[in-house]
Amino acid sequence: MDMGPAAAAATAAAAPPIKVDIRDLSFFYGQTKALKNVTMPLYRNNVTAFIGPSGCGKSTLLRALNRIYEMYPNQRAEGEVIVDGENILDSRQDVNLLRAKLGMVFQKPTPFPMTIFDNIAFGIRMYERLSKSELDDRVERALRNAALWDEVKDKLGASGLSLSGGQQQRLCIARTVAIEPEVILLDEPCSALDPISTARIEELIDELKTDYTIVIVTHNMQQAARISDYTAFMLLGELIEFGDTATITTKPGVQKTEDYITGRFG
Amino acid sequence: MVELALVQENRVAVVRKGSSLRRMARTDAFFEALTRAAAIAVLGVLGGVMISLMMGAWPALDKFGLGFLYSQSWNPVTEKFGALAPIYGTIVTSAIALAMAVPIGLGVAIFLTEICPQVLRRPIGIAIELLAGIPSIIYGIWGLFVLAPLLQHTLQPRLVDLFQSVPVLSTLFAGPPYGIGVLTSALILAIMILPFIASITRDVFEQVPPMLKEAAFGLGCTTREVIRNVVIPYTRVGVTGGCMLALGRALGETMAVTFVIGNAHRITPSLLAPGTTISATIANEFTEAVGDLYTSALIALGLILFVITFIVLAIARYMLARIALRAGT
Repeated sequence: MDMGPAAAAATAAAAPPIKVDIRDLSFFYGQTKALKNVTMPLYRNNVTAFIGPSGCGKSTLLRALNRIYEMYPNQRAEGEVIVDGENILDSRQDVNLLRAKLGMVFQKPTPFPMTIFDNIAFGIRMYERLSKSELDDRVERALRNAALWDEVKDKLGASGLSLSGGQQQRLCIARTVAIEPEVILLDEPCSALDPISTARIEELIDELKTDYTIVIVTHNMQQAARISDYTAFMLLGELIEFGDTATITTKPGVQKTEDYITGRFG
Repeated sequence: MVELALVQENRVAVVRKGSSLRRMARTDAFFEALTRAAAIAVLGVLGGVMISLMMGAWPALDKFGLGFLYSQSWNPVTEKFGALAPIYGTIVTSAIALAMAVPIGLGVAIFLTEICPQVLRRPIGIAIELLAGIPSIIYGIWGLFVLAPLLQHTLQPRLVDLFQSVPVLSTLFAGPPYGIGVLTSALILAIMILPFIASITRDVFEQVPPMLKEAAFGLGCTTREVIRNVVIPYTRVGVTGGCMLALGRALGETMAVTFVIGNAHRITPSLLAPGTTISATIANEFTEAVGDLYTSALIALGLILFVITFIVLAIARYMLARIALRAGT
Protein backbone atom coordinates (compact mmCIF):
# COMPACT_ATOMS: atom_id res chain seq x y z
CA MET A 1 0.00 0.00 0.00
CA ASP A 2 1.32 3.38 -1.00
CA MET A 3 1.34 5.60 2.05
CA GLY A 4 2.32 8.76 0.24
CA PRO A 5 5.61 10.63 0.50
CA ALA A 6 4.53 12.63 3.54
CA ALA A 7 3.84 9.49 5.54
CA ALA A 8 7.09 7.91 4.55
CA ALA A 9 8.97 11.02 5.59
CA ALA A 10 7.21 11.15 8.94
CA THR A 11 7.93 7.52 9.64
CA ALA A 12 11.58 7.99 8.79
CA ALA A 13 11.97 11.15 10.86
CA ALA A 14 10.27 10.20 14.15
CA ALA A 15 10.35 6.41 13.96
CA PRO A 16 9.06 5.56 17.44
CA PRO A 17 8.89 1.84 18.14
CA ILE A 18 5.94 0.06 16.57
CA LYS A 19 3.51 -1.46 19.09
CA VAL A 20 0.94 -2.90 16.72
CA ASP A 21 1.73 -3.68 13.13
CA ILE A 22 -1.31 -4.07 10.91
CA ARG A 23 -0.37 -5.91 7.73
CA ASP A 24 -2.63 -6.43 4.75
CA LEU A 25 -5.72 -6.65 6.94
CA SER A 26 -9.07 -7.32 5.28
CA PHE A 27 -12.40 -7.69 7.04
CA PHE A 28 -15.62 -9.31 5.92
CA TYR A 29 -19.22 -8.97 7.08
CA GLY A 30 -20.54 -12.12 5.40
CA GLN A 31 -19.74 -11.54 1.73
CA THR A 32 -19.14 -7.81 2.08
CA LYS A 33 -15.54 -6.75 2.23
CA ALA A 34 -15.49 -3.86 4.68
CA LEU A 35 -11.73 -3.44 4.99
CA LYS A 36 -9.48 -3.72 1.98
CA ASN A 37 -5.88 -4.74 2.63
CA VAL A 38 -5.06 -2.15 5.25
CA THR A 39 -1.42 -1.85 6.28
CA MET A 40 -0.28 0.60 8.94
CA PRO A 41 1.79 0.83 12.10
CA LEU A 42 0.55 1.96 15.53
CA TYR A 43 3.41 3.58 17.41
CA ARG A 44 4.11 2.94 21.07
CA ASN A 45 3.11 5.77 23.46
CA ASN A 46 1.51 7.72 20.68
CA VAL A 47 -2.09 8.55 19.88
CA THR A 48 -3.22 7.39 16.47
CA ALA A 49 -6.54 8.70 15.16
CA PHE A 50 -8.66 6.90 12.56
CA ILE A 51 -10.73 9.43 10.64
CA GLY A 52 -13.08 9.20 7.70
CA PRO A 53 -16.77 9.43 6.85
CA SER A 54 -19.37 7.04 8.32
CA GLY A 55 -19.06 3.53 7.01
CA CYS A 56 -15.44 3.91 5.93
CA GLY A 57 -14.32 1.01 8.11
CA LYS A 58 -12.54 2.84 10.92
CA SER A 59 -14.59 1.23 13.69
CA THR A 60 -14.32 -2.11 11.91
CA LEU A 61 -10.55 -1.77 11.92
CA LEU A 62 -10.58 -1.01 15.63
CA ARG A 63 -12.84 -3.96 16.37
CA ALA A 64 -10.54 -6.28 14.44
CA LEU A 65 -7.67 -5.39 16.76
CA ASN A 66 -9.12 -7.07 19.85
CA ARG A 67 -11.17 -9.63 17.92
CA ILE A 68 -14.40 -8.45 19.54
CA TYR A 69 -16.08 -9.17 16.18
CA GLU A 70 -15.88 -12.87 17.04
CA MET A 71 -19.00 -12.42 19.16
CA TYR A 72 -20.95 -12.31 15.93
CA PRO A 73 -21.21 -15.04 13.34
CA ASN A 74 -20.30 -14.28 9.72
CA GLN A 75 -17.66 -11.73 10.61
CA ARG A 76 -14.05 -12.57 9.89
CA ALA A 77 -10.67 -10.95 9.39
CA GLU A 78 -7.84 -11.86 7.06
CA GLY A 79 -4.25 -10.72 7.14
CA GLU A 80 -2.00 -10.11 10.10
CA VAL A 81 -2.00 -7.93 13.18
CA ILE A 82 1.34 -8.26 14.91
CA VAL A 83 1.49 -7.28 18.57
CA ASP A 84 4.87 -7.86 20.24
CA GLY A 85 5.91 -10.25 17.50
CA GLU A 86 2.75 -12.37 17.59
CA ASN A 87 -0.06 -12.46 15.08
CA ILE A 88 -3.12 -11.90 17.22
CA LEU A 89 -5.48 -13.08 14.47
CA ASP A 90 -3.95 -16.54 14.86
CA SER A 91 -6.66 -18.88 16.15
CA ARG A 92 -4.23 -20.22 18.76
CA GLN A 93 -4.02 -16.79 20.39
CA ASP A 94 -5.86 -16.70 23.74
CA VAL A 95 -8.58 -14.19 23.03
CA ASN A 96 -9.24 -13.31 26.68
CA LEU A 97 -5.61 -12.47 27.32
CA LEU A 98 -5.53 -10.53 24.07
CA ARG A 99 -8.46 -8.41 25.19
CA ALA A 100 -6.80 -7.77 28.51
CA LYS A 101 -3.81 -6.44 26.57
CA LEU A 102 -5.83 -4.31 24.16
CA GLY A 103 -8.53 -2.61 26.22
CA MET A 104 -11.53 -1.04 24.51
CA VAL A 105 -13.80 1.90 25.29
CA PHE A 106 -17.03 2.22 23.37
CA GLN A 107 -19.04 4.96 21.73
CA LYS A 108 -21.69 5.01 24.43
CA PRO A 109 -20.78 4.63 28.08
CA THR A 110 -21.37 1.03 29.13
CA PRO A 111 -21.09 0.83 32.91
CA PHE A 112 -21.89 -2.64 34.22
CA PRO A 113 -24.98 -3.05 36.41
CA MET A 114 -22.98 -2.93 39.66
CA THR A 115 -21.44 -0.40 42.01
CA ILE A 116 -18.82 2.12 40.91
CA PHE A 117 -16.19 0.26 42.90
CA ASP A 118 -17.15 -3.11 41.42
CA ASN A 119 -17.17 -1.72 37.89
CA ILE A 120 -13.44 -1.20 38.29
CA ALA A 121 -12.66 -4.11 40.61
CA PHE A 122 -14.51 -6.60 38.42
CA GLY A 123 -11.87 -6.59 35.69
CA ILE A 124 -8.96 -6.61 38.12
CA ARG A 125 -10.36 -9.59 40.02
CA MET A 126 -10.49 -11.60 36.80
CA TYR A 127 -6.74 -11.46 36.35
CA GLU A 128 -5.26 -10.96 39.77
CA ARG A 129 -5.85 -12.15 43.27
CA LEU A 130 -5.36 -9.11 45.47
CA SER A 131 -5.92 -8.33 49.11
CA LYS A 132 -8.69 -5.90 50.00
CA SER A 133 -6.29 -3.00 50.54
CA GLU A 134 -4.35 -3.69 47.33
CA LEU A 135 -7.61 -3.83 45.44
CA ASP A 136 -8.72 -0.54 47.01
CA ASP A 137 -5.45 1.03 45.91
CA ARG A 138 -5.79 -0.22 42.39
CA VAL A 139 -9.36 1.03 42.10
CA GLU A 140 -8.35 4.42 43.45
CA ARG A 141 -5.40 4.63 41.07
CA ALA A 142 -7.56 3.71 38.08
CA LEU A 143 -10.18 6.30 39.04
CA ARG A 144 -7.47 8.93 39.54
CA ASN A 145 -5.98 8.06 36.16
CA ALA A 146 -9.37 8.61 34.59
CA ALA A 147 -9.78 11.93 36.45
CA LEU A 148 -12.89 10.64 38.19
CA TRP A 149 -11.68 9.98 41.73
CA ASP A 150 -12.59 13.33 43.26
CA GLU A 151 -16.12 13.14 41.93
CA VAL A 152 -16.89 9.61 43.10
CA LYS A 153 -14.67 8.92 46.12
CA ASP A 154 -17.57 9.43 48.54
CA LYS A 155 -20.01 7.22 46.67
CA LEU A 156 -18.06 4.19 45.51
CA GLY A 157 -20.95 2.01 46.64
CA ALA A 158 -23.46 3.76 44.38
CA SER A 159 -24.54 2.19 41.09
CA GLY A 160 -22.36 2.96 38.08
CA LEU A 161 -25.57 3.86 36.27
CA SER A 162 -26.20 6.76 38.66
CA LEU A 163 -23.35 8.82 37.18
CA SER A 164 -23.72 11.39 34.40
CA GLY A 165 -22.87 10.41 30.83
CA GLY A 166 -19.42 11.99 30.93
CA GLN A 167 -18.66 10.44 34.30
CA GLN A 168 -19.86 7.06 33.04
CA GLN A 169 -17.51 7.29 30.09
CA ARG A 170 -14.59 8.14 32.36
CA LEU A 171 -15.64 5.21 34.54
CA CYS A 172 -15.38 2.98 31.48
CA ILE A 173 -11.95 4.38 30.70
CA ALA A 174 -10.93 3.77 34.33
CA ARG A 175 -12.24 0.23 34.06
CA THR A 176 -10.15 -0.34 30.96
CA VAL A 177 -7.05 1.26 32.49
CA ALA A 178 -7.47 -0.74 35.70
CA ILE A 179 -6.53 -4.04 34.14
CA GLU A 180 -3.33 -2.40 32.86
CA PRO A 181 -3.59 -3.05 29.15
CA GLU A 182 -0.84 -2.04 26.76
CA VAL A 183 -3.03 -0.55 24.07
CA ILE A 184 -6.27 1.38 24.58
CA LEU A 185 -8.77 1.33 21.74
CA LEU A 186 -11.29 4.16 21.88
CA ASP A 187 -14.29 3.97 19.55
CA GLU A 188 -15.68 7.52 19.28
CA PRO A 189 -15.51 7.91 23.05
CA CYS A 190 -16.85 11.47 23.03
CA SER A 191 -19.67 11.19 20.53
CA ALA A 192 -22.35 10.98 23.25
CA LEU A 193 -20.82 13.66 25.47
CA ASP A 194 -21.12 17.40 25.96
CA PRO A 195 -18.15 19.70 25.20
CA ILE A 196 -16.98 19.92 28.81
CA SER A 197 -16.88 16.16 29.28
CA THR A 198 -15.24 15.87 25.86
CA ALA A 199 -12.50 18.27 26.92
CA ARG A 200 -11.86 16.27 30.09
CA ILE A 201 -11.55 13.05 28.15
CA GLU A 202 -9.22 14.64 25.62
CA GLU A 203 -6.99 15.84 28.45
CA LEU A 204 -7.11 12.36 29.86
CA ILE A 205 -6.05 10.77 26.59
CA ASP A 206 -3.09 13.12 26.48
CA GLU A 207 -2.05 12.04 29.98
CA LEU A 208 -2.58 8.36 29.31
CA LYS A 209 -0.29 8.21 26.32
CA THR A 210 2.80 8.32 28.54
CA ASP A 211 1.89 4.81 29.66
CA TYR A 212 -0.18 3.42 26.83
CA THR A 213 -0.45 3.17 23.10
CA ILE A 214 -3.73 4.78 22.14
CA VAL A 215 -5.95 4.41 19.11
CA ILE A 216 -9.00 6.63 18.75
CA VAL A 217 -11.75 6.51 16.16
CA THR A 218 -13.32 9.90 15.67
CA HIS A 219 -15.71 11.69 13.38
CA ASN A 220 -14.40 14.98 14.52
CA MET A 221 -11.50 16.31 12.47
CA GLN A 222 -10.67 18.97 15.06
CA GLN A 223 -10.53 16.36 17.77
CA ALA A 224 -8.10 14.27 15.76
CA ALA A 225 -5.96 17.36 15.20
CA ARG A 226 -6.03 18.25 18.90
CA ILE A 227 -5.14 14.95 20.46
CA SER A 228 -3.44 12.64 17.99
CA ASP A 229 0.17 12.26 16.92
CA TYR A 230 -0.61 10.17 13.87
CA THR A 231 -3.68 10.12 11.69
CA ALA A 232 -5.05 7.51 9.32
CA PHE A 233 -7.63 8.66 6.80
CA MET A 234 -9.93 5.94 5.54
CA LEU A 235 -12.52 5.86 2.81
CA LEU A 236 -14.77 2.98 1.72
CA GLY A 237 -12.71 0.39 3.55
CA GLU A 238 -9.37 1.56 2.22
CA LEU A 239 -6.58 3.36 4.00
CA ILE A 240 -6.10 6.46 1.89
CA GLU A 241 -3.37 8.14 3.82
CA PHE A 242 -1.39 7.65 7.00
CA GLY A 243 1.04 10.10 8.51
CA ASP A 244 1.77 12.40 11.39
CA THR A 245 -1.23 14.50 12.26
CA ALA A 246 0.36 17.87 11.57
CA THR A 247 1.14 16.86 8.01
CA ILE A 248 -2.22 15.20 7.36
CA THR A 249 -4.19 18.17 8.61
CA THR A 250 -2.13 20.94 7.02
CA LYS A 251 -0.78 19.57 3.76
CA PRO A 252 -2.15 16.11 3.02
CA GLY A 253 -0.48 14.20 0.21
CA VAL A 254 -3.71 12.87 -1.32
CA GLN A 255 -6.50 14.94 -2.85
CA LYS A 256 -9.25 12.80 -1.23
CA THR A 257 -7.83 13.50 2.23
CA GLU A 258 -7.77 17.20 1.55
CA ASP A 259 -11.35 17.09 0.30
CA TYR A 260 -12.47 15.42 3.52
CA ILE A 261 -10.51 17.65 5.84
CA THR A 262 -11.64 20.84 4.18
CA GLY A 263 -15.21 19.59 4.37
CA ARG A 264 -15.87 19.15 0.70
CA PHE A 265 -17.49 15.81 1.47
CA GLY A 266 -18.03 13.31 4.23
CA MET B 1 -65.95 33.23 -18.33
CA VAL B 2 -63.15 30.81 -17.82
CA GLU B 3 -62.12 32.58 -14.64
CA LEU B 4 -65.61 32.45 -13.24
CA ALA B 5 -65.79 28.73 -13.90
CA LEU B 6 -62.51 28.32 -12.08
CA VAL B 7 -63.72 30.28 -9.11
CA GLN B 8 -66.90 28.20 -8.96
CA GLU B 9 -64.94 25.02 -9.23
CA ASN B 10 -62.73 26.17 -6.39
CA ARG B 11 -65.71 26.93 -4.25
CA VAL B 12 -67.14 23.47 -4.92
CA ALA B 13 -63.79 21.95 -4.00
CA VAL B 14 -63.70 23.89 -0.76
CA VAL B 15 -67.24 22.87 0.12
CA ARG B 16 -66.50 19.26 -0.68
CA LYS B 17 -63.35 19.40 1.40
CA GLY B 18 -65.32 20.79 4.31
CA SER B 19 -67.97 18.11 4.16
CA SER B 20 -65.47 15.28 3.85
CA LEU B 21 -63.55 16.71 6.80
CA ARG B 22 -66.74 16.72 8.82
CA ARG B 23 -67.46 13.16 7.77
CA MET B 24 -63.97 12.10 8.75
CA ALA B 25 -64.38 13.76 12.12
CA ARG B 26 -67.61 11.82 12.62
CA THR B 27 -65.97 8.52 11.69
CA ASP B 28 -63.10 9.35 13.99
CA ALA B 29 -65.44 10.01 16.89
CA PHE B 30 -67.32 6.79 16.19
CA PHE B 31 -64.11 4.78 16.00
CA GLU B 32 -62.88 6.35 19.19
CA ALA B 33 -66.10 5.48 21.00
CA LEU B 34 -65.94 1.91 19.68
CA THR B 35 -62.40 1.26 20.87
CA ARG B 36 -63.09 2.96 24.19
CA ALA B 37 -66.12 0.73 24.67
CA ALA B 38 -64.01 -2.35 23.96
CA ALA B 39 -61.43 -1.27 26.51
CA ILE B 40 -64.07 -0.50 29.12
CA ALA B 41 -65.75 -3.86 28.43
CA VAL B 42 -62.56 -5.63 29.58
CA LEU B 43 -62.62 -3.72 32.84
CA GLY B 44 -66.33 -4.44 33.11
CA VAL B 45 -65.78 -8.17 32.70
CA LEU B 46 -63.01 -8.15 35.30
CA GLY B 47 -65.20 -6.23 37.73
CA GLY B 48 -68.16 -8.47 36.95
CA VAL B 49 -66.17 -11.63 37.66
CA MET B 50 -64.96 -10.14 40.91
CA ILE B 51 -68.43 -9.09 42.02
CA SER B 52 -70.14 -12.36 41.11
CA LEU B 53 -67.37 -14.32 42.84
CA MET B 54 -67.89 -12.24 45.95
CA MET B 55 -71.65 -12.62 45.84
CA GLY B 56 -71.38 -16.37 45.27
CA ALA B 57 -68.81 -16.76 48.03
CA TRP B 58 -70.74 -14.65 50.52
CA PRO B 59 -72.88 -17.40 52.17
CA ALA B 60 -69.79 -19.52 52.91
CA LEU B 61 -67.66 -16.58 54.05
CA ASP B 62 -70.53 -15.31 56.17
CA LYS B 63 -70.96 -18.68 57.87
CA PHE B 64 -67.31 -19.61 58.45
CA GLY B 65 -65.75 -16.13 58.59
CA LEU B 66 -61.98 -15.94 58.55
CA GLY B 67 -61.96 -19.52 59.81
CA PHE B 68 -62.60 -20.54 56.22
CA LEU B 69 -59.00 -19.62 55.46
CA TYR B 70 -57.38 -21.69 58.19
CA SER B 71 -59.76 -24.57 58.79
CA GLN B 72 -58.70 -27.91 57.36
CA SER B 73 -62.00 -29.76 57.46
CA TRP B 74 -63.88 -30.29 54.22
CA ASN B 75 -66.98 -32.26 54.98
CA PRO B 76 -69.92 -31.99 52.58
CA VAL B 77 -72.10 -34.20 54.80
CA THR B 78 -71.90 -32.01 57.89
CA GLU B 79 -71.41 -28.94 55.66
CA LYS B 80 -68.22 -27.84 57.39
CA PHE B 81 -65.83 -26.28 54.93
CA GLY B 82 -62.31 -24.88 55.30
CA ALA B 83 -59.90 -23.91 52.53
CA LEU B 84 -56.57 -24.61 54.18
CA ALA B 85 -55.85 -27.95 52.49
CA PRO B 86 -56.44 -26.71 48.93
CA ILE B 87 -54.58 -23.45 49.63
CA TYR B 88 -51.65 -25.44 51.03
CA GLY B 89 -51.69 -27.84 48.08
CA THR B 90 -51.83 -25.01 45.56
CA ILE B 91 -48.93 -23.14 47.08
CA VAL B 92 -46.75 -26.19 47.71
CA THR B 93 -47.18 -27.71 44.24
CA SER B 94 -46.54 -24.37 42.57
CA ALA B 95 -43.52 -23.58 44.71
CA ILE B 96 -41.89 -26.96 44.03
CA ALA B 97 -42.71 -26.65 40.35
CA LEU B 98 -41.07 -23.22 40.26
CA ALA B 99 -38.02 -24.50 42.10
CA MET B 100 -37.60 -27.22 39.48
CA ALA B 101 -38.48 -25.22 36.39
CA VAL B 102 -36.59 -21.96 37.03
CA PRO B 103 -33.03 -23.32 36.90
CA ILE B 104 -33.77 -25.40 33.81
CA GLY B 105 -35.68 -22.59 32.09
CA LEU B 106 -32.86 -20.14 32.76
CA GLY B 107 -30.40 -22.66 31.43
CA VAL B 108 -32.38 -23.02 28.23
CA ALA B 109 -32.66 -19.25 27.83
CA ILE B 110 -28.95 -18.68 28.46
CA PHE B 111 -28.05 -21.39 26.00
CA LEU B 112 -30.38 -19.95 23.36
CA THR B 113 -29.22 -16.35 23.68
CA GLU B 114 -25.53 -16.68 24.45
CA ILE B 115 -24.15 -20.04 23.45
CA CYS B 116 -26.31 -21.81 20.87
CA PRO B 117 -25.05 -21.74 17.26
CA GLN B 118 -27.16 -19.44 15.10
CA VAL B 119 -28.65 -22.23 12.97
CA LEU B 120 -30.14 -24.02 15.99
CA ARG B 121 -31.63 -20.95 17.67
CA ARG B 122 -34.84 -20.79 15.67
CA PRO B 123 -35.67 -24.52 15.72
CA ILE B 124 -35.13 -24.81 19.47
CA GLY B 125 -37.01 -21.57 20.10
CA ILE B 126 -39.97 -22.81 18.07
CA ALA B 127 -39.92 -26.19 19.81
CA ILE B 128 -40.15 -24.45 23.16
CA GLU B 129 -43.09 -22.36 22.05
CA LEU B 130 -44.84 -25.48 20.73
CA LEU B 131 -44.30 -27.14 24.10
CA ALA B 132 -46.12 -24.20 25.67
CA GLY B 133 -49.04 -24.77 23.30
CA ILE B 134 -49.80 -28.38 24.29
CA PRO B 135 -53.27 -28.48 25.93
CA SER B 136 -53.08 -29.19 29.65
CA ILE B 137 -55.44 -32.18 29.41
CA ILE B 138 -52.72 -33.96 27.43
CA TYR B 139 -50.22 -33.33 30.19
CA GLY B 140 -52.90 -34.66 32.56
CA ILE B 141 -53.47 -38.02 30.85
CA TRP B 142 -49.76 -38.41 30.17
CA GLY B 143 -49.10 -37.72 33.84
CA LEU B 144 -51.72 -40.22 35.00
CA PHE B 145 -50.97 -43.08 32.63
CA VAL B 146 -47.25 -42.70 32.00
CA LEU B 147 -45.48 -40.49 34.51
CA ALA B 148 -47.28 -41.54 37.71
CA PRO B 149 -46.72 -45.33 37.28
CA LEU B 150 -43.15 -44.64 36.27
CA LEU B 151 -42.48 -42.56 39.39
CA GLN B 152 -44.30 -45.10 41.53
CA HIS B 153 -41.92 -47.84 40.49
CA THR B 154 -38.69 -45.94 40.12
CA LEU B 155 -38.15 -42.54 41.71
CA GLN B 156 -40.52 -42.64 44.66
CA PRO B 157 -39.39 -45.91 46.34
CA ARG B 158 -35.81 -44.77 45.90
CA LEU B 159 -36.51 -41.41 47.51
CA VAL B 160 -38.15 -43.17 50.45
CA ASP B 161 -35.18 -45.52 50.87
CA LEU B 162 -32.60 -42.82 50.40
CA PHE B 163 -33.96 -40.38 52.97
CA GLN B 164 -35.17 -42.97 55.48
CA SER B 165 -32.70 -41.92 58.15
CA VAL B 166 -32.34 -38.22 57.30
CA PRO B 167 -34.30 -36.20 59.89
CA VAL B 168 -36.38 -33.70 57.86
CA LEU B 169 -36.30 -35.40 54.49
CA SER B 170 -37.65 -38.65 55.89
CA THR B 171 -40.93 -36.87 56.71
CA LEU B 172 -41.04 -35.18 53.30
CA PHE B 173 -40.62 -38.47 51.49
CA ALA B 174 -42.62 -40.88 53.60
CA GLY B 175 -45.42 -43.35 53.13
CA PRO B 176 -46.28 -45.76 50.36
CA PRO B 177 -45.48 -44.55 46.85
CA TYR B 178 -48.85 -44.06 45.18
CA GLY B 179 -47.47 -42.58 42.02
CA ILE B 180 -50.02 -39.81 42.10
CA GLY B 181 -49.61 -37.07 44.69
CA VAL B 182 -48.13 -33.68 45.44
CA LEU B 183 -44.67 -34.41 44.02
CA THR B 184 -46.00 -35.80 40.74
CA SER B 185 -48.29 -32.77 40.34
CA ALA B 186 -45.38 -30.45 40.97
CA LEU B 187 -43.33 -32.31 38.36
CA ILE B 188 -46.09 -32.02 35.76
CA LEU B 189 -46.51 -28.33 36.60
CA ALA B 190 -42.76 -27.82 36.25
CA ILE B 191 -42.84 -29.33 32.77
CA MET B 192 -45.80 -27.13 31.86
CA ILE B 193 -44.33 -23.83 33.01
CA LEU B 194 -40.80 -24.54 31.79
CA PRO B 195 -41.44 -23.25 28.25
CA PHE B 196 -42.95 -20.05 29.69
CA ILE B 197 -39.94 -19.37 31.83
CA ALA B 198 -37.56 -20.24 29.01
CA SER B 199 -39.22 -18.03 26.42
CA ILE B 200 -39.86 -15.03 28.70
CA THR B 201 -36.33 -15.04 30.11
CA ARG B 202 -34.95 -15.47 26.61
CA ASP B 203 -36.78 -12.32 25.55
CA VAL B 204 -35.48 -10.54 28.63
CA PHE B 205 -31.89 -11.64 27.97
CA GLU B 206 -32.16 -10.36 24.42
CA GLN B 207 -32.81 -6.89 25.80
CA VAL B 208 -29.28 -6.65 27.18
CA PRO B 209 -27.58 -4.04 24.98
CA PRO B 210 -24.95 -5.73 22.76
CA MET B 211 -22.55 -2.91 23.66
CA LEU B 212 -22.68 -3.89 27.31
CA LYS B 213 -21.78 -7.45 26.45
CA GLU B 214 -19.06 -6.25 24.09
CA ALA B 215 -17.65 -4.15 26.89
CA ALA B 216 -17.50 -7.16 29.16
CA PHE B 217 -15.95 -9.35 26.49
CA GLY B 218 -13.62 -6.46 25.73
CA LEU B 219 -12.26 -6.69 29.27
CA GLY B 220 -11.41 -10.29 28.54
CA CYS B 221 -14.40 -11.93 30.23
CA THR B 222 -15.33 -15.46 29.28
CA THR B 223 -18.92 -16.20 28.25
CA ARG B 224 -19.65 -17.56 31.72
CA GLU B 225 -18.33 -14.42 33.38
CA VAL B 226 -20.34 -12.19 31.08
CA ILE B 227 -23.52 -14.10 31.87
CA ARG B 228 -22.93 -14.19 35.60
CA ASN B 229 -21.70 -10.64 36.10
CA VAL B 230 -23.46 -8.66 33.39
CA VAL B 231 -26.41 -10.44 31.77
CA ILE B 232 -28.05 -11.82 34.94
CA PRO B 233 -27.59 -8.69 37.11
CA TYR B 234 -28.85 -6.49 34.28
CA THR B 235 -31.97 -8.62 33.77
CA ARG B 236 -32.64 -9.64 37.36
CA VAL B 237 -35.93 -7.77 37.66
CA GLY B 238 -37.22 -9.05 34.33
CA VAL B 239 -36.26 -12.65 35.08
CA THR B 240 -38.06 -12.44 38.42
CA GLY B 241 -41.09 -11.01 36.65
CA GLY B 242 -41.05 -13.86 34.15
CA CYS B 243 -40.89 -16.43 36.93
CA MET B 244 -43.82 -14.77 38.71
CA LEU B 245 -45.81 -14.95 35.48
CA ALA B 246 -45.07 -18.67 35.33
CA LEU B 247 -46.03 -18.97 38.99
CA GLY B 248 -49.35 -17.33 38.20
CA ARG B 249 -49.97 -19.97 35.59
CA ALA B 250 -48.94 -22.82 37.88
CA LEU B 251 -51.27 -21.58 40.63
CA GLY B 252 -54.28 -21.63 38.35
CA GLU B 253 -53.51 -24.78 36.39
CA THR B 254 -56.45 -27.17 36.73
CA MET B 255 -56.71 -30.14 34.41
CA ALA B 256 -53.25 -31.66 34.59
CA VAL B 257 -53.12 -31.31 38.37
CA THR B 258 -56.61 -32.71 38.87
CA PHE B 259 -55.48 -35.88 37.09
CA VAL B 260 -52.42 -36.60 39.16
CA ILE B 261 -52.77 -35.00 42.59
CA GLY B 262 -55.09 -37.59 44.11
CA ASN B 263 -57.73 -35.17 45.41
CA ALA B 264 -57.42 -35.76 49.13
CA HIS B 265 -58.56 -32.95 51.43
CA ARG B 266 -55.83 -33.18 53.94
CA ILE B 267 -52.44 -31.72 54.66
CA THR B 268 -49.67 -34.27 55.00
CA PRO B 269 -46.02 -33.42 55.34
CA SER B 270 -45.08 -36.15 52.87
CA LEU B 271 -44.75 -34.97 49.28
CA LEU B 272 -45.55 -38.47 48.07
CA ALA B 273 -49.02 -38.40 49.61
CA PRO B 274 -52.08 -37.30 47.66
CA GLY B 275 -53.36 -33.78 48.23
CA THR B 276 -55.50 -31.26 46.42
CA THR B 277 -55.35 -27.76 45.02
CA ILE B 278 -57.95 -25.04 44.80
CA SER B 279 -58.64 -25.49 41.11
CA ALA B 280 -58.59 -29.30 41.33
CA THR B 281 -61.16 -29.20 44.14
CA ILE B 282 -63.46 -26.93 42.17
CA ALA B 283 -63.17 -28.99 38.99
CA ASN B 284 -63.81 -32.25 40.83
CA GLU B 285 -66.65 -31.26 43.07
CA PHE B 286 -68.75 -28.74 41.18
CA THR B 287 -71.06 -31.36 39.70
CA GLU B 288 -71.78 -32.98 43.04
CA ALA B 289 -72.14 -29.80 45.07
CA VAL B 290 -75.79 -30.09 46.02
CA GLY B 291 -76.31 -27.73 48.91
CA ASP B 292 -76.12 -23.95 48.57
CA LEU B 293 -73.38 -23.78 51.18
CA TYR B 294 -71.28 -26.40 49.37
CA THR B 295 -71.49 -24.45 46.10
CA SER B 296 -70.74 -21.24 47.91
CA ALA B 297 -67.67 -22.76 49.55
CA LEU B 298 -66.36 -23.78 46.13
CA ILE B 299 -66.93 -20.27 44.79
CA ALA B 300 -65.14 -18.89 47.83
CA LEU B 301 -62.19 -21.12 46.92
CA GLY B 302 -62.31 -19.58 43.46
CA LEU B 303 -62.26 -16.12 44.96
CA ILE B 304 -59.17 -16.97 47.00
CA LEU B 305 -57.39 -18.27 43.90
CA PHE B 306 -58.44 -15.16 41.99
CA VAL B 307 -56.93 -12.92 44.65
CA ILE B 308 -53.70 -14.93 44.91
CA THR B 309 -53.08 -15.03 41.14
CA PHE B 310 -54.11 -11.40 40.78
CA ILE B 311 -51.46 -10.34 43.26
CA VAL B 312 -48.79 -12.58 41.73
CA LEU B 313 -49.52 -11.37 38.20
CA ALA B 314 -49.60 -7.74 39.29
CA ILE B 315 -46.14 -8.12 40.81
CA ALA B 316 -44.92 -9.89 37.65
CA ARG B 317 -46.25 -7.15 35.35
CA TYR B 318 -44.72 -4.48 37.52
CA MET B 319 -41.32 -6.16 37.37
CA LEU B 320 -41.43 -6.73 33.61
CA ALA B 321 -42.48 -3.11 33.09
CA ARG B 322 -39.49 -1.97 35.09
CA ILE B 323 -37.01 -3.76 32.89
CA ALA B 324 -38.69 -2.53 29.70
CA LEU B 325 -38.39 0.99 31.10
CA ARG B 326 -34.70 0.55 31.77
CA ALA B 327 -34.02 -0.96 28.36
CA GLY B 328 -35.74 2.04 26.79
CA THR B 329 -33.43 4.59 28.37
